[in-house]
Amino acid sequence: MKCTHCQLEFDETVMITEEKSPDVYFCCNGCQGVYHLLKDDGLDSFYEKVGNSTLAPPVESDDNAENFDLESFQQRYIKRTPDGFSKVDLVIEGIHCAACVWLNEKILDDTDGVLEASINFTNNKAKIVWDEESVKLSEIINKIRSIGYNAYPYEQSAEDVKASSAQRDYFMRMAIAIFGSMNIMMIGVAKYAGYFSGIKEENLHLIHLAEFLFATIVLFYSGWIFFRGAYYGLKNRIVNMDLLVSGGALITYIYSLTILFGAKGHSYFDSVTMIITFVLVGKYLEVLGKKSAVDAMDKIKSQVPLEATIVKDGGKEVVALDKIVVGDIIEVKNGEKASVDGQSIVELSTFDESSISGESLPVEKQKGDTIYSGTINSGMVMRYEATKNYANSTLSKMVDLLEDSLASKPKIEEMTNELSKYFSLAIILLAVVTYIGWYLYYGDFENALIITISVIVIACPCALALATPIASLIGISWATEKGLLFKEAKFIETFAKATTVIMDKTGTVTQGKLAVKKQSNELDGQNLALLYGMVDSSTHPVSKAIKKYLEEKYGSDGFSLELENIEQVHAQGIRANFNNKKLLGGNSKLLEESGVAVALDSDYTVYHFAVDGELLTSFELEDTIKDDSQEMIAYFKEIGVETIMATGDHQKVAKRVADEVRIEQVYSAMSPLDKAELLTKLKEQGKTVVMVGDGINDALALSKADVAIVMGSGADVALAISDVVVLNDSLKGIKNSFIISHRTYKFIKQNLLLSLIYNVVTIPLAMAGYVIPLVAALSMSLSSLIVVGNSMRIKNKEL
Amino acid sequence: MNAVLKLELFVGLLVSFTLLGILIWSIKKGGFDDSKRMMDGVFFDSEDDLRDAVNRENKQKALRTKKQEELEKKAKKQE
Repeated sequence: MKCTHCQLEFDETVMITEEKSPDVYFCCNGCQGVYHLLKDDGLDSFYEKVGNSTLAPPVESDDNAENFDLESFQQRYIKRTPDGFSKVDLVIEGIHCAACVWLNEKILDDTDGVLEASINFTNNKAKIVWDEESVKLSEIINKIRSIGYNAYPYEQSAEDVKASSAQRDYFMRMAIAIFGSMNIMMIGVAKYAGYFSGIKEENLHLIHLAEFLFATIVLFYSGWIFFRGAYYGLKNRIVNMDLLVSGGALITYIYSLTILFGAKGHSYFDSVTMIITFVLVGKYLEVLGKKSAVDAMDKIKSQVPLEATIVKDGGKEVVALDKIVVGDIIEVKNGEKASVDGQSIVELSTFDESSISGESLPVEKQKGDTIYSGTINSGMVMRYEATKNYANSTLSKMVDLLEDSLASKPKIEEMTNELSKYFSLAIILLAVVTYIGWYLYYGDFENALIITISVIVIACPCALALATPIASLIGISWATEKGLLFKEAKFIETFAKATTVIMDKTGTVTQGKLAVKKQSNELDGQNLALLYGMVDSSTHPVSKAIKKYLEEKYGSDGFSLELENIEQVHAQGIRANFNNKKLLGGNSKLLEESGVAVALDSDYTVYHFAVDGELLTSFELEDTIKDDSQEMIAYFKEIGVETIMATGDHQKVAKRVADEVRIEQVYSAMSPLDKAELLTKLKEQGKTVVMVGDGINDALALSKADVAIVMGSGADVALAISDVVVLNDSLKGIKNSFIISHRTYKFIKQNLLLSLIYNVVTIPLAMAGYVIPLVAALSMSLSSLIVVGNSMRIKNKEL
Repeated sequence: MNAVLKLELFVGLLVSFTLLGILIWSIKKGGFDDSKRMMDGVFFDSEDDLRDAVNRENKQKALRTKKQEELEKKAKKQE
């Protein structure tokens, strides 16, 4: 059954229903709340816009929105507009469809005092302009949170401004090139029809004139970047692809000009625009890739805490992170992030270290234990002593390393450029040799020029250039049909060459959710209701898992006992009373400290329930393994890909999971830096590594991998860094991405061979003067068609 | 015939360059910065959305006027 709000499917028994409206079902209170809020505000047309897309259930944010009104926040993130308004740049978390953008903009537009709210769907960045006299930023943030999304501020970096302006510049050049090409193609119909059926000289001249107009704009405006690239290349003594493109186009343009001004023959203004347009589209995609890397970095930086509270001379002071020095005592409240690395000075505290280890269970910290920056205090207020400044802390190091690796990612592009450098040089040399040969032998300038142009046009690496992208495009669209999102085509090749797969445990091999594995004694009657009351009064993952287990086993009706004096015992469990009965629910430590003997010694997470000092039942919980894990590992073995599991979890747990799915190589207790180091080591051994992960803790390793695969439900940061997203979270998707990549790569190789044969046959013919430029252009198109036709066969395989 | 061809070319060029001008204006205004949203434009184009856009413009105008008045008042006080 589908949840009316998020549209995710759940079992009917766990759905929340309403007496007043029997047609609605909700998976959680969050979804129910948002549904009613939207309905009450007249925003229920959101559901029409969502269509069949699924949403992530709303998550309650632990962050206090009032932080957004602090002076230090204002100084860092809020800018004033010339007309007296305030402006902030935010990253909105949780947006995955156009309807989400619509909803957020609508709710903000309906908020008094908000002047402008525009959200970019591609990178989830928002610009909000508002009047501080009418509304506070914290109120705006709370509005966003009320509909199930979250917002973080980010500082628009210089790289972001540069990447955005480059994107707009290339888009403009590309749009004008496409505009010119389309017009020239239309005019070309008349020209080529006239070529075969006869055309008056003056009409042909008019057509040439119109073509000249478009070609001039395309060559000198859109193609300017190639001239610039060629100039800088030559300045550094490098013959690059830009030189071939701009040189070929310019020679063709000059030749066509001579035709326009009276020489005999046909102009090739159409070839000029085509060459520039095709290559420019490829360049634009490259620029988009760079922009998305910058966007990914901004998302990561928005996770960095804004400031820290320092305890000094008996008072407290809120300071910026770079002002913290080693030895400062830092106070962290519940839900706040630790700002720098340090050592705990309180007896006991709990931290959510999922950003470091990937494990969702809170970790207990004793006095003297290390507190990592970026981890969240999930217990009561605590204090620790800074042992590192911000620049040397874990979080800052991770951000720096990510920045470096994102900037240095496109290795394959470097290789392609290197190859095309030689190809360009060879073609130019061949063209020069052809020209000199013909001119010296026959002394006819025009004929020598036409043959030279034929050589350049016929060798224009269209088939070669198409061989990879067209096969990749078909491979990628096939992958998309199977729920796999390849962010760039180049990953198909890397995938096909992969020798090693590193997998994270939680969320990848396992579900990432605790489930009851074993219950020691059955309960019934009042004791069962009491146990339900205990787990229902806590939001701890263990309590939630037991609650779910009880509801699945006994249903959720009839458990209506009201417990009294509920007391959460820090990192241990709950104490409560019911009609003078003393109830205890929690780990072994809680029961032992309360004088209840516990005999169970288990490797799993344990929860005991005792009434009046008598242990009634114990639960063992574990993270469940995904159904198709074993099948996938077996497939990797079959195709000879080495499989490694790397997890932040303890050795015992890691080993148990690895044994169950038959992974032989296991690395446990790995920090994000350890994982990244492992990847670097493997790559140094010459291995091509695919990394599969889902959390913030995997982000660094993912960024180092040759291909990074992330489950669709993964953290936003991980998704931003990933190369391939498995939308349906299934492990079969990973297997499919290997099959699709291998098959596509096979066809890329076939295409390259076909275009190579084409060049080997046609270039000598053109050099020998057997090919006029028109036939050269036609044969170039034919070779492209062969490559396209061959690529169409990729999808002829059942998955 | 030649005159017809000339006229056709002239009108064709005029129309296409006008469209190009609109495209350039739109790109410069940031209309194509968000490639994903551009593809889903139909979701933002219903009658209600157009009405919302008008309301938004009116609201912005009112807010700007109010702010301007406030700033002027403040300036006068300071004098």
